[in-house]
Amino acid sequence: MMRSIVSRLTCVAQGLGGGLFVSLFGVFVLQVVSRFVFDRPLPWTDELAVVLYVWIILWACATMVPTHEHVVFDLVWQWASPPLRRVMSAVAHVLVGGLCCWALPACWDYVWFMSREATPVLDIPFSLVFMPFVLLLISLVVRSVQGLIRACRDDVLADVPLPEGEA
Amino acid sequence: MSPSLWGLAGVLLAGLLLRVPIGFAMIASGIAYLGMSGQDLGLAAEQIGNGLYQSYVLLAVPLFVFAAQLMNAGTISERLFDFCRVLVGRLRGGLAQVDILVSVIFSGMSGSAIADAAGPGLVTLKQMMHQPGYTRGFAGAVVVASATLGPVIPPSIPMIIYALVSGASVGALFMGGLVPGVLMALSMMAVVQYIAVRRNMPREAAIPWREWPAILWRGVLPLTLPVVLLGGIYSGAFTPTEAAAVAALHALLLAGVIYRALSWRRLWEVVLESTRASAVITIILAGSLLLNYAFTAEGLPQAVAQWVENMRLQPVWFLLMSNLLFLVLGCFLDVSVLLLVFVPMLLPSVRALGIDQVHFGVLVVLNMMIGLIHPPFGMLLFVTKALTGIPIGEMMREGWMFLVMLMALLLAMTLFPQIVLWLPHAMGYVTH
Repeated sequence: MMRSIVSRLTCVAQGLGGGLFVSLFGVFVLQVVSRFVFDRPLPWTDELAVVLYVWIILWACATMVPTHEHVVFDLVWQWASPPLRRVMSAVAHVLVGGLCCWALPACWDYVWFMSREATPVLDIPFSLVFMPFVLLLISLVVRSVQGLIRACRDDVLADVPLPEGEA
Repeated sequence: MSPSLWGLAGVLLAGLLLRVPIGFAMIASGIAYLGMSGQDLGLAAEQIGNGLYQSYVLLAVPLFVFAAQLMNAGTISERLFDFCRVLVGRLRGGLAQVDILVSVIFSGMSGSAIADAAGPGLVTLKQMMHQPGYTRGFAGAVVVASATLGPVIPPSIPMIIYALVSGASVGALFMGGLVPGVLMALSMMAVVQYIAVRRNMPREAAIPWREWPAILWRGVLPLTLPVVLLGGIYSGAFTPTEAAAVAALHALLLAGVIYRALSWRRLWEVVLESTRASAVITIILAGSLLLNYAFTAEGLPQAVAQWVENMRLQPVWFLLMSNLLFLVLGCFLDVSVLLLVFVPMLLPSVRALGIDQVHFGVLVVLNMMIGLIHPPFGMLLFVTKALTGIPIGEMMREGWMFLVMLMALLLAMTLFPQIVLWLPHAMGYVTH
């Protein structure tokens, strides 16, 4: 049951991320075609592309990119014994999860505050543009809690990369 | 250094040592800085959100990533391989020469060294490993070395990031990378020739004349892309970001419509891979926005500039010291971290000493490419090992001549800036 919900959520997350990426590409193609083929530059494409870009990057990091695909410095990790890895993993999750949790209310306040300003051409509220950063912080807190539980339960599992799409 | 800056450094170092993804470690350390210095933690959202929103030039990154993934999925690498085999396959150690030439052409279409190693590099590597004349260490070393051409020959993702942090023209940087890239390729071919003759490596079988037109025709369509890209950027017809979209569209039409090598399912996989790869690159940039806010607030770049000024260094000594610094740091840190954290600290000194920012940018990118093939953090070595299973030690033993050659070129470009600046100036770019 739980597994099927997670799998569906993963599909939705990937679908949205991939859809945003295709939209970004489409917007640029439209911009180039409109300018060169029809000689009619569109005023809104640059702005929409940047908004899509902010969403793609932060949404993908929050929900699509598994931890093991990120760039890490793992020289110390490679030399560490399994019990030490377990401790390292726990400390890392407390550090990142704790700091993100600390920043979450203030970041939410800032993003909410920005709803009174909007992008110049399309009038998209900046709260909507910056919202995925809050989602990223929430995702980092959730991942850290999950990772901490894993590290406390089982030292072997703590070393296994997260399954794709798991947030 | 203020206590809050120490806090930032402590969290960042701890995060890195504990194997936290670098982008997340940067964001966490930025939050620690804001908290310890009593500033509003909402500044984290403000700096990262606004920073990304205003980085229009960075939109080229996901699009170039997409173009490279499409080319790799759409058999374009294989077609280029056949094309180059006709041209240089008859030289001794022909497959290694083919690999370098394919990398030159592929570099003109993608901006990523990793994409080069994983795409055309893998195609030639498999061929070399099936031939008795090539050791697997040599095959791996050639592929790893030639992949460094990717970000030096335009277009280039690291150069786009450098343009963002320095304000230098992307077009001038791209042109600045062209001559060094060609020199690198020629030097690599000379090294291969030297080794191939000494080891009596095989030549490729002669291809009958009547088959030439078909093979050349198959490979010639992808070759139109670099011409369109560079011509478009240089003539001002489109911005580097639009050029990236054109590159992706070109690759999509070739792979999907003309070659029919891409199913809908595979295309969707490519979209998802590109989304994830772009996010992995850019989240480090997002973290660096927060770090750079802290560094600027603490006056760190100005302090470094003051320190350099007090040492009364000649520009050339500053460049040599920067090379050394980046070569050492490149052994441990990722390209994007060097570009986004260390380069902005040095830029005020670069400007104060009157060093050309395009010259500095190309040197920095070449430095980082050397870091990619240098242990212990040589990402290209890891990628090639992961794809082929060739031990890193074997690649290093066979590849040291390429490393020495690249360092010699770096030294030459440091001492003679015109190697880099001649073409941008000849094409009318004003650099400073």
